[in-house]
Amino acid sequence: MSVVTPAPALTEVSRTRRRLGRALIFLAMSVMAVVMLYPFAIMILVSFKTNAQYLIGHGTSVQTWREINATLPVYQELWNSTVVCTLSILIILVVGVMAGFSFAKLQFRGGNIVFLGIVSAMMVPLQAILIPEFVNIARTGLTNNYLGAVVVYAALGTPFSIFLFTTYFRRIPDELVEAGIVDGLGYWGVLWRLALPMALPAIATVTVLQFIQIWDDLLVGLLFLQNPGERTITVGLAALAAGHTTSIPLLMAGSLVSAAPAMLVYLVFQRFLVRGLTLGIDR
Amino acid sequence: MSLTSSLAASTSERRRPAASLLTRRRRRVGIMLILPALALVGLLIAYPIGQAVYYSFTYWNGLTTQWVGVSTWTQAFHNTEMWTALKNNAELLLSVPFALGIPLLVAVMLHQRVAGWKIFRSIYFLPTAISWVVIGLVAEHFFAYSGTLNSLLSDIGLSGVHTNMLGQENQALIALGITFIFSMIGTNTMLFLTGLATLDPSLEEAARIDGASAWLIFRHITLPHLSRFIQLAFVMTVISAFSALFSLIFVMTNGGPGYSTTTMEFLVYQTGFNQSQFGTAALYGIILFVITAIVGIGQLRLIGAKDS
Repeated sequence: MSVVTPAPALTEVSRTRRRLGRALIFLAMSVMAVVMLYPFAIMILVSFKTNAQYLIGHGTSVQTWREINATLPVYQELWNSTVVCTLSILIILVVGVMAGFSFAKLQFRGGNIVFLGIVSAMMVPLQAILIPEFVNIARTGLTNNYLGAVVVYAALGTPFSIFLFTTYFRRIPDELVEAGIVDGLGYWGVLWRLALPMALPAIATVTVLQFIQIWDDLLVGLLFLQNPGERTITVGLAALAAGHTTSIPLLMAGSLVSAAPAMLVYLVFQRFLVRGLTLGIDR
Repeated sequence: MSLTSSLAASTSERRRPAASLLTRRRRRVGIMLILPALALVGLLIAYPIGQAVYYSFTYWNGLTTQWVGVSTWTQAFHNTEMWTALKNNAELLLSVPFALGIPLLVAVMLHQRVAGWKIFRSIYFLPTAISWVVIGLVAEHFFAYSGTLNSLLSDIGLSGVHTNMLGQENQALIALGITFIFSMIGTNTMLFLTGLATLDPSLEEAARIDGASAWLIFRHITLPHLSRFIQLAFVMTVISAFSALFSLIFVMTNGGPGYSTTTMEFLVYQTGFNQSQFGTAALYGIILFVITAIVGIGQLRLIGAKDS
């Protein structure tokens, strides 16, 4: 009996300690949340001021929002971002699905080496090849329209896309592919009707990941979209910031406009983004 | 035994002609399907690497090239700008422990699943979605003379201290490093949280029942389990420090004051597009490539060593 009595007291103490620990963790996480939400709070608060109000430190106004389009053509640039993202992602998906299916299911001599070569291109930072890339693309004249940036984004996104689709298609049993061939589907039929439906999660992952990457990118857009009317919203924003003449409230309003679509995509498709970022170590 | 083997042999013999027809067709389709990928990656990634090497031995202003041998290289290595950029890159690496440590702490806290942890998780990851151009603009406001940092300092009674980190040669890089750490928190936390999710909870539970302290559990169970994830995060963070800061630098400091925040990747851009020295810029690109490749190959080696 005397052995049993201390036990409840002990759990009581440890339970209190545990509860206190969890309260402290909650507190620390709240502080962290404030830090991580800071950019969004600043963007919202500052964008609802005029430049004069921002400088003296108080007052609110919607004037910045009303006049934003005169300095930063947001509608045009949001459209440009959408066009560039859509075209690039389409190329990345089509090229990635085709090559991924080939590497995974249509083994041919030398295929593995080519696969390794393409996948290792993931490790090449754009800055390493920036100069020749720019000269090459500028010589073809593509920097004067959307295509200059589109082909560069497509090339940069393709290696990861191929890696992901190859991993996915390897799960399809060889027998299934052979059965499809015997049934007269042909390789295109097998790819289209059997393989593609199984790769839908991979398509979602590539799309979300590339959308955020391309939408948020500065360097490619800055150099490969020479026509100011075709700038993406991120490039337009950075160019405005580099101009030194603009007001901080305007830049914050522009930031919010440029961030909103990516945030929306992120919140809706969080699952696929996490999968894409952590791929390769899950297995 | 002999019966089965001869049977197998005869089946394979009977199938061989048909199979080889199929194999040939399969190979043709297989090669056709990779051609677009090969063209894209070959023309836009592989070929420019070769060009960059070639142009680094030339004097090149983007229009005319003139072979000058190794003189671009010898000049570059006597160039103080390049050494400044490399030094800045080296100093930025000091932010890597923070860019890993803070997310590790955050992930472990999230893993305790206290009330509202899912909301906290979404909040922590949210900045991952936005452009580093936007983060850079907000950071500029944070560090500015009339910005958040100074008003925070005066709030805690240090109104005499007025910082202007982005305008000071010896502090601008620190401000850039802090912004970089902030920008990496979401991604690295995500990575560590995925790692923690694969940890068997009964292990921790058993240790706790045995009376192990929270620190002991972290040190001997959680941390070893996460080692692969920490390695990957380390490599990704180091490579980002060398090749993903362009947007931040472009909007926050434009490489200045002086060359105090010019890193190798920014020097490539500046040398090429502000000074039109394409040969030298191509050379800087190659050096950057070699550095990131060494980090990446080091990682592959580590993984390979683990697997075998």
